[in-house]
Amino acid sequence: MASVHMEMKDSAVSSSKWLDAHYDPVANLYTFSSCIALADLHGDGENKLVVGDLGTGASNMKLKVYRGTGLLSENTLLDLPTGLVSFLMDQHEPCTPAIAVASGPFIYIYKNLRPYFKFTLPTLEVNPLEQDVWSQAREDMIDPMTLKEMLEGIRDKADIPLSVRSLRFLMLEPQDMEAYVNLHKQQPIRRQTVITCIGTLKKNMADDDAVSCLVIGTESQEVYILDPEAFTILAKMSLPSVPTLMDVTGQFDVEFRITIACRNGNIYILRRDSPRPKYCIELSSHPVGLVRMGKNVVVGCAQETLHGYTQKGKKLWTTYLPAPVTTMAVLDLPTRGFQAVLVGLANCEVHVYRDKNLISTIKTPDLVTSICFGRYGREDGTLIMTTKGGGLIVKILKRTAVFDDKDSAPGPPIAQSIRLNVPKKTKLYVDQTMRERENAVAMHRAFQMDLSRMRLAAARAYVKALESSLTPMSASLTEPLKMNAVVQGLGPSFKLTLNIQNTAACRPVMNLAISFLYDENLYSMRTAFFKIPLLVPGLNYPIDTFVECLSDKGISDIIKVFVLREGKSAPLLTAHINMPVSEGLALN
Amino acid sequence: SFVSKLILITQCSYACVCFSAPELPILERRNWLIHLHYIRKDYETCKAIIKEQLQETQGMCEYAVYVQALILRLEGKIQQSLELFQSCAILNPTSSDNLKQVARSLFLLGKHKAAIEVYNEATRLNQKDWEINHNLGVCYIYTKDFKSAEEQLNMALQQNKHDMTYMMLGKIYLLEGDTEKAIEIYKNAVEFSPENTELLTTLGLLYMQLGKYQKAFEHLGNALTYDPNNYKAILAAGSMMQTHGDFDVAMNKYRVAAFAVPESPPLWNNIGMCFFGKKKYVAAISCLKRANYLSPFDWKILYNLGLVHLTMQQYASAFHFLSAAINLHPRMGELYMLLAVALTNLDDVDNARRSYEQAVQLDFNKCYSNPLVNLNFAVLLYNQGDKKAALQQYQDMEKKVNMLVESNSNTEFDPELIEMAQKMGAALQAGENLLWSKPGKESKNSQRSSSSKVTSSQQPLGTNQALGQAMSSAAGYSKSIAPSPPTEPPGELEAEDDVEEAAEPPKAKEKKKSKSRTVAE
Repeated sequence: MASVHMEMKDSAVSSSKWLDAHYDPVANLYTFSSCIALADLHGDGENKLVVGDLGTGASNMKLKVYRGTGLLSENTLLDLPTGLVSFLMDQHEPCTPAIAVASGPFIYIYKNLRPYFKFTLPTLEVNPLEQDVWSQAREDMIDPMTLKEMLEGIRDKADIPLSVRSLRFLMLEPQDMEAYVNLHKQQPIRRQTVITCIGTLKKNMADDDAVSCLVIGTESQEVYILDPEAFTILAKMSLPSVPTLMDVTGQFDVEFRITIACRNGNIYILRRDSPRPKYCIELSSHPVGLVRMGKNVVVGCAQETLHGYTQKGKKLWTTYLPAPVTTMAVLDLPTRGFQAVLVGLANCEVHVYRDKNLISTIKTPDLVTSICFGRYGREDGTLIMTTKGGGLIVKILKRTAVFDDKDSAPGPPIAQSIRLNVPKKTKLYVDQTMRERENAVAMHRAFQMDLSRMRLAAARAYVKALESSLTPMSASLTEPLKMNAVVQGLGPSFKLTLNIQNTAACRPVMNLAISFLYDENLYSMRTAFFKIPLLVPGLNYPIDTFVECLSDKGISDIIKVFVLREGKSAPLLTAHINMPVSEGLALN
Repeated sequence: SFVSKLILITQCSYACVCFSAPELPILERRNWLIHLHYIRKDYETCKAIIKEQLQETQGMCEYAVYVQALILRLEGKIQQSLELFQSCAILNPTSSDNLKQVARSLFLLGKHKAAIEVYNEATRLNQKDWEINHNLGVCYIYTKDFKSAEEQLNMALQQNKHDMTYMMLGKIYLLEGDTEKAIEIYKNAVEFSPENTELLTTLGLLYMQLGKYQKAFEHLGNALTYDPNNYKAILAAGSMMQTHGDFDVAMNKYRVAAFAVPESPPLWNNIGMCFFGKKKYVAAISCLKRANYLSPFDWKILYNLGLVHLTMQQYASAFHFLSAAINLHPRMGELYMLLAVALTNLDDVDNARRSYEQAVQLDFNKCYSNPLVNLNFAVLLYNQGDKKAALQQYQDMEKKVNMLVESNSNTEFDPELIEMAQKMGAALQAGENLLWSKPGKESKNSQRSSSSKVTSSQQPLGTNQALGQAMSSAAGYSKSIAPSPPTEPPGELEAEDDVEEAAEPPKAKEKKKSKSRTVAE
């Protein structure tokens, strides 16, 4: 009881750490933590919430800006937003951040919420053999079929994959090929890739209002760092797999670290001046969330675990979570010198971890899909979450809230104080125990006697059944038969189906007959005796016959079925059929 | 294909107007979205996106097919997933990932040899991958090629250390019966990942099997520190506490386990024996009967039930439980001995004697022999007046004791066993000079930690002792569980040994053993 009470108190305390500022369950937002940012877009000291909304997932993609509890503006996006960051491009006054929205192979830069610039990823190298083949096609030197063969050869061997054009061509039916070639052959071949994640990196100063570079990860397993003003590529690095999540720290001109979670389940750490990853963390399941806590990296994995690693990839700790991770974010309160990790879980909770200790739990009305913590409006400690159902939740951390630095789930488990459910024994049981103590010998002897008698009776009955073939399984070695019977109908007419099977390995059984024994006052049968055809081993022979119930008094009886062998009076096997009561009345 | 043709037609008309080919969508454009939903386990949304993506690309998007196959496999449609992975491998023959998944699906289908082949092919594409080595090792375990398995798993560990690999490697050694080596592996694993409760528990149980209780308790305790709800560790640690007589602490732990797994037969068995140790016999029987209801064919539970009923002087019931246990586990001498004790009390001396003969015979064939069987038999024979046969049994008992002392000089005997043996020796005018000439030393040792006890109040057979005496014998019995208390039960030092009671102590031991055994499984 005591610990239950304690827990209740504890949850009450943790819920009181937050003020519920706003909850709109029908905000209609489909987004992820990578597509949410808080930024002072207008330079008025009031932070706005910028959300890249995926719309329906196919259409209606929007760039939405919230101020307070209301929607401030909406811009239509051409394609699904992959990531969204706010960053300072330059230091011209007024110093307002730009918004970069990554989507497909492009980055759209918005300034003052107006489209400002579109950056396109450099195209990928095209296989020279493929180029050759298509140029031959352009000059009509080869027909579509030859083109197909040559492209297939390239596909199977080349290091550089084919372009979309060739791949699509290979999927075509022969009759469509010519039109396709004519349509596309004049165009230069291009291979494009898409952006999978985006981040920012301060250029040369660590200040909050310093200019930042964009860091992008692409489907072609590369990382680019872009100059904030000219949008030229400052650095390019390659990875062994496709990046999915990234965390960037440092300054481009001094030293930086890019921590990247990849689709192969590994985390790579890139540093300045190294075109390949410096360290690698191999996880045993996919990373779902990645945040930095000081000098350490905290990773939430699909296997319901949270790991802490040093920035050189050494494992520090592991915590087991009660549900799968949906998203993660960092809770950073520089004014109070407090940092923690927010972990959204599939059981509709958000856990706050400081290192491996769970310090607080927030219950949410729906599954949280994205989390963002920071300054919103003029409030520093604001927690913004969107839910799977499209809701928007805004909570404000109370200024009086204190997080205890110790684990909130220690001590003995509550179960330890729950009484054991030991089955109770009655007084009767105790009395019987006493009786047994006094009469153990007599009870034992009586039991042994009865046991012997029962065994004898059972053995006798068994022998009798075997001798007179009363069982539905034949015991004879020459005619191993099996029979079961099914009665169908409500009465007074019943259909009786006998399923007979020869269970021998290969020998057929011949010259069998079936006869029935029944009370002739109660039942009548069209044929009470008939012959069975030759029985092939293994096959099931259903034999139907009809029984008429003659009584309307609601009584029933047993019908005995005998399988007989010609020339023998003892049956091979016997089945007793318990007839159901006839529910219908015989028509006179 | 209808949709795609339609698209082509619209494309053509478009081309006619502006004389330029339309932009073909990038195949991989939604891979990130598919991946994001997949790792969040939002499989429904993921499948919808995959379907759209495959429609748009006419099935050419490798990653979409790949994830679709992964989801199918999670849904148990392994054959379908295998086919999809194979088509992925055709779309991109240079990716070792695709081959790895093909092999994984083959493995799940039980085609271990085929899986090994595909994994080997994947190794050729990607030399350094712990996952391939690990999975190859697992495949080899299933094909019973332990040597190759060991090699592969060690290679995996060299590349990258993972708890799973350690566990598999430990499993191989256990399958080969090499507990020492398995412990070595688990020790390394615990060093690498000191908070993995599964590793800690397994290591603890292995130490327990080897009788290194101190170390076992240390690791089980660690496991419980990190996860106080770990059922396996609770059961193992609890059974050890019981061995030491800490019934209340053990019960505390069991309460946690009972909340987590309320239908575990070993748990209720152990709880029952806890009550037994605390002399709450009715509760003990209730719990044991529940355990028996949950697992009717577990001979250990039946054994304990027989033991408790013997203590309760419910000999007729004890007979039933013991004979059921013997039917399930016919090769154990102690069971026959208990049955003989029950039969002796049921006035069936002939059968009791036959049962003892069986017990003695079975006990001789074992590496761990129990001198108590012979002692109890000797008592019965002596009571029957067959002094010659009694002497024979007595000498056999001495041989066993000598053997045990030789094999391990630290062997300690229950003081009651020693005392009873001495009395018996005196009665038969045999013992004094032979075996128990050393008892000075021995009894000192045994005094300290007794595990099996022979109660010493002897009466001619057939007299039913009063309830009070049963209680006191049980008290002695419970002490026997605890190795530490050196004193003997005060009320029982009367004359000769009572066979029934003598029988009880070994049961107690059995009980303990059985507990830890069930746990270890």
